[in-house]
Amino acid sequence: MEVRLLRPALAIYAGIFLLFLYGPMIVLAILSFQSQGGGPQFPIQEWSTYWYRHLLGLTETSRVSQLPVGDSLIRSLVLAFMTTVVSVTLGTMSAEAFRTRFKGSGPVFYLIILGMMVPGVLVGLGVALLANFLDIGRAWWSTSFVLHVVYTFPFAFLVMLAIFNRFDRSVEEASLSLGVSPAQTFRRVTFPLIFPGVLSAMLFSFTLSYDEFSRTLFTSGGDLTLPLSIYGTFSVEIYPNVFAFGVLTTLFSFTLLAIYGVLMKRFTARSKSRFGGQEDAQ
Amino acid sequence: MTTMTNDVPAKPAASPAVEREAKDRRRALLLLSPGVLWMVLFMLLPLGMVIYVSFWTQTTFAIEPTLTTDSWERFLSSSTYLTAIGTTLKAWLIVLVATIVIGYPVALFIGLFVKSQTLQTALLVACVIPFWTSFLIRVIAWRPMLGTEGAINNILMELGLVSEPLTFLLFSEFSVYVGMTQIYCVFMVGPITFMIARIDASVIEAARDLGASFSTIFFRIVLPLSMPGVVVGTIFVSVMVLGEFATAASLSGRKVNLLGNIIVSQVGSLKWAFAAVAGVVLTIIISTVITLALRVVDLRKEM
Repeated sequence: MEVRLLRPALAIYAGIFLLFLYGPMIVLAILSFQSQGGGPQFPIQEWSTYWYRHLLGLTETSRVSQLPVGDSLIRSLVLAFMTTVVSVTLGTMSAEAFRTRFKGSGPVFYLIILGMMVPGVLVGLGVALLANFLDIGRAWWSTSFVLHVVYTFPFAFLVMLAIFNRFDRSVEEASLSLGVSPAQTFRRVTFPLIFPGVLSAMLFSFTLSYDEFSRTLFTSGGDLTLPLSIYGTFSVEIYPNVFAFGVLTTLFSFTLLAIYGVLMKRFTARSKSRFGGQEDAQ
Repeated sequence: MTTMTNDVPAKPAASPAVEREAKDRRRALLLLSPGVLWMVLFMLLPLGMVIYVSFWTQTTFAIEPTLTTDSWERFLSSSTYLTAIGTTLKAWLIVLVATIVIGYPVALFIGLFVKSQTLQTALLVACVIPFWTSFLIRVIAWRPMLGTEGAINNILMELGLVSEPLTFLLFSEFSVYVGMTQIYCVFMVGPITFMIARIDASVIEAARDLGASFSTIFFRIVLPLSMPGVVVGTIFVSVMVLGEFATAASLSGRKVNLLGNIIVSQVGSLKWAFAAVAGVVLTIIISTVITLALRVVDLRKEM
């Protein structure tokens, strides 16, 4: 094929690909504005925000039961927060350890990476069996929590590893040898250098845990997290309130992403002014 | 601020360099131990438990730690379970091939034909943005798309291409493959784009100056150099598709039963031992796939 034609052809193809990625979500967003009488399909009978009000419990009782999102949303947020704190801590510690050469670093690397590779349904089953065996009750804040960390810790680890690979250890050593205390060195030298990484690791951990479903399914016990509540509605007929919920969670994720962007931008601007021309790790 | 912590008196026994190295190593092991312990306790131990329980005795509603191979025998002699292995492998192959075939040209475009770094990043971000929607919502979003009264059938009817709504679109094998391909394609596009974008432009220029056609350049330079990306993408997609059950559960109308679905339904009916057997089979399949893929490239070297 003529190369001159290949470029526009591939560009059009990439456009179609993006449509493929976004199409279902666009359709879902449109249908979330379906009126009360309309089903979860076209045509839109009348544009309305009925299903959003239904989701928030602002409508009078209807034959469609409300999505049980209230409590499960709080559980999911708390769980994601706990997971973020622990996995970023573990990830930073492990990545810091990997700056030193030591025997067995290969197997340890793969052991950590395995956490993000092993299917959730498999470890979920394992933890459920183990909990039953040891006669420990399963709950979202215990058995689900440890599994969420198993999943997000590798992501935090990889992000921090990339950051540490790029940053020069001699900066820290210079600070220490100039008599600055280790605590001060960490606060004034190390932390500003690794902060963008920490922020990214937090973002990864939080969103992955918040949305995690397969690892939670067998391990959460009686109290459901948000993805489990959504899954519960799959078996019955779906109504546009699920779509409205999808739009709202997506907006929530975008808010998180925006906060991340703002923090990152403010931070890089500040460190630029502080370190002058020095390139900052992003 | 005034505390000085590192005014260590020199010890004559070992050289400072050796001593420091030993100290660094101790520190590294100390830093590493919580993470490693966490992974061993909450990942390896549970996985070992799955293997162990697959040899327990299954009674109607409970399991007993009396070792037996009953569950294995029943699993391997049941056509339902053996079919599930076949279905899983088939879904894996189809989705894997689909993600490569659909994703590669996109990666080629972003990595090779888009020269501006900003536009490259913007396109990759555009591919990742759908991931900010909950996974289950992305799955369910295919229902209004593919249903008999869904968007695609509406468009096809409107255009007069079909007179009756197509029924094979939803609650079929087709919808499961489409859904999985859409959800996992980005994991193929990302690594391939990364590898293609890393190719030194001067290599391609040199080839062109020497009179190589585009197809020669593609098959002799771009394709071989992008292979590690394809392998990494293959590992990602394989692991995720093989462990899948939610897409099949919500889009197949119970027509597609993957090993993951078997595990879920067995746990639902408290048949823990059978679920464990299915889990072990799944582990064997996944490990085989990853081992084969890692034969082709060394993942750690490429990262």
